Amino acid sequence: MAGSKVFTRRRDGRVEVRMNEHGRSVVRSAFANVLAAERDPDHEWHVSLSGPIDPSLDQDNPVSMLARQTETSTNAELASLTVDEQFLNDAEAWVWLTTLQVALRSTAQTNGLHNDEQLAAADEEMLSYVRTLQSLLFDLAACF
Amino acid sequence: MDRLRSLLSIEAAVWDTRRMASTQPLRRTTTEGDVQTEDAVETKKPWNVIVWNDPVTPMTVVVVILRKIFGYSNNKCTQLMLAVHHEGRALVWSGHRERAESYCVKLQVAGLQSTIEQDT
Repeated sequence: MAGSKVFTRRRDGRVEVRMNEHGRSVVRSAFANVLAAERDPDHEWHVSLSGPIDPSLDQDNPVSMLARQTETSTNAELASLTVDEQFLNDAEAWVWLTTLQVALRSTAQTNGLHNDEQLAAADEEMLSYVRTLQSLLFDLAACF
Repeated sequence: MDRLRSLLSIEAAVWDTRRMASTQPLRRTTTEGDVQTEDAVETKKPWNVIVWNDPVTPMTVVVVILRKIFGYSNNKCTQLMLAVHHEGRALVWSGHRERAESYCVKLQVAGLQSTIEQDT
């Protein structure tokens, strides 16, 4: 994946995805994990997807919680369905960005990476995974 | 002389009435009005949407998400992103509670750590 850009905005408005099979498998796994975490309360990422909206309350507004759950699931579903596409429209590129970002933050939270020092002290494999997601996000964000 | 005394007493009476009239609205017989005013101010306090810093989110992603959700200029989004990065948090929107909650959900769905709080 290194070298040229993975995501490029074309003149027709679509986002081109130039990713090898290893890259696709990383992205596919991230999307699948977000989807699974939203549906399964026992998934290790589930807690990071249900952070407080108003921390001054014991429980957040159920309507807002449902809206968050539905929207996150819908985004992850669309991202999963388009994971093998070579070209993404604007809506698809947006759900790729948000779902990858959710995966990145969930990974960090689940592994106790809450500040720069903890991130620097993370093991090589974890750091490599985080850097890969960051690189993809950096590239994709440049298309917006 | 009698006429002068009479004129002076009328003048004094008029002045006294005016003084009473001018002091009348300042009299306080109850604090009820003050309490109602305090309540009214309380309910108008805006709700703030806060975005929190985290060590992994790329800066450009924060800018893109803020621009997409709030429609702010690139310059404003960059300033807010820098505030998040340097101060640990930034107030990105302020207003009615329902809208604040809705924006907070959108930010969380986009993967940013966000909460709402009432203005102090």
